[in-house]
Amino acid sequence: MIWEVFRQEKSGGYHKHCGNVHAPDRELALQFAAIQHGRRMKTHSLWVAPQREIGEIDADEMSFGGMTDKTYRWATSYTDIEPAAPEVAESEAEQADVEHSLEADS
Amino acid sequence: MDLETVKERAGPRQFAPKDDMPEKYRKAATRMIQFHANSEVMGGYLEKPFIRQAPSIDRKLAFSAKVQDEIGHAQLLYRAAESLGIKTREEMLDELANGEGKFLNCFHYPMESWHEVPMIAFFVDGAAMHRQATLKNTSWTPYAHAMDKVCFEEGFHVKHGESILSELMNGSKATQEKTQEAFELWWPRIIQFFGPTNDKSVHNDFAQQVGLKTKSNDELRDTFLDTYVPKAEKYGLEIPEYPRIEYDEAEETYHVNEDDLDWDEFWTIAKNDSEGSHEQIGSRAHAQAAVEWVRESMDSWEQASNTGTPQAAD
Repeated sequence: MIWEVFRQEKSGGYHKHCGNVHAPDRELALQFAAIQHGRRMKTHSLWVAPQREIGEIDADEMSFGGMTDKTYRWATSYTDIEPAAPEVAESEAEQADVEHSLEADS
Repeated sequence: MDLETVKERAGPRQFAPKDDMPEKYRKAATRMIQFHANSEVMGGYLEKPFIRQAPSIDRKLAFSAKVQDEIGHAQLLYRAAESLGIKTREEMLDELANGEGKFLNCFHYPMESWHEVPMIAFFVDGAAMHRQATLKNTSWTPYAHAMDKVCFEEGFHVKHGESILSELMNGSKATQEKTQEAFELWWPRIIQFFGPTNDKSVHNDFAQQVGLKTKSNDELRDTFLDTYVPKAEKYGLEIPEYPRIEYDEAEETYHVNEDDLDWDEFWTIAKNDSEGSHEQIGSRAHAQAAVEWVRESMDSWEQASNTGTPQAAD
């Protein structure tokens, strides 16, 4: 049985997918995950989930955000407006990063 | 974990669902996050009619995207609240429908004209974002993670709201006057967004001690005024004489004279008992009842099978 492994680097962070392990049950899956994925990398916590329990939908099946022109919903589109506050500027910068990555891929 | 340990360890993203948190912490966090989630729903409902009333196709598209965002934020927040193990999502949604669920004061007032729109879309959203940015450092990790996504999206909301304000305040004299009128109506409510002063706030102390909140009501209100008073003035809005707002030269911050605000109205609203409360809660309960059949069919589908292709809302 295959178990997908998610690693959290530090307390409060996100668990990110980092690979999978073969194991007969959850307890052993956690042990194998700790050995294979938590041995070298900085790790605070690991999650395992049976591979067959994970659903997937990909870009062949549907149009995800960023595939159509929806400039009206990006802070970066309102070029005549300076961000009112630092938290608005921060949000705009995060959005600009995503826009750049979408442009780089297209 | 006992309360003393919680207070010692309190810090940004310190506690997660696997931690054994005391009931007092879990109840306080549930109250706070449920309030936040309810407010996202009610804010979305307040703005929804303006998808139809928007004066141009661009505004219509942006408003439609924004309302979708707000309802999405509510979903994220109900999940974060549910992870505390006190209430289920279903219970919280029912409480909102039957008038027990509490939500932000500003969303208890009906909004009628387009001139009022930037009062919510710029000032209230700006205030919300000002508060939410500090909640990225809340101690309940699922709440902080929800804030990451909420703050990512909110930048567009605030800039879009400001763009509407800019357009109105560069419009005809009549438009400017109507916008000023709307501002005078909403300004005291916007200031009350941050709740009662620290000494009158029932929950503030505990929420700060356990790291759920990182800033007090007073700190947030003052720093909000520091940014948004000059913004209002920049667009030619006149700050009403009351409530009196004074600039403190020594502390370099604005303070509001809180005796000038209508706290009877605020506390009536806090009990969901104003005329507007009944109207807003009633209209949302009506909408919820109208789509009851959708939830019912989803529930029976869930029981019958767990297959099916999910559709992203994009």
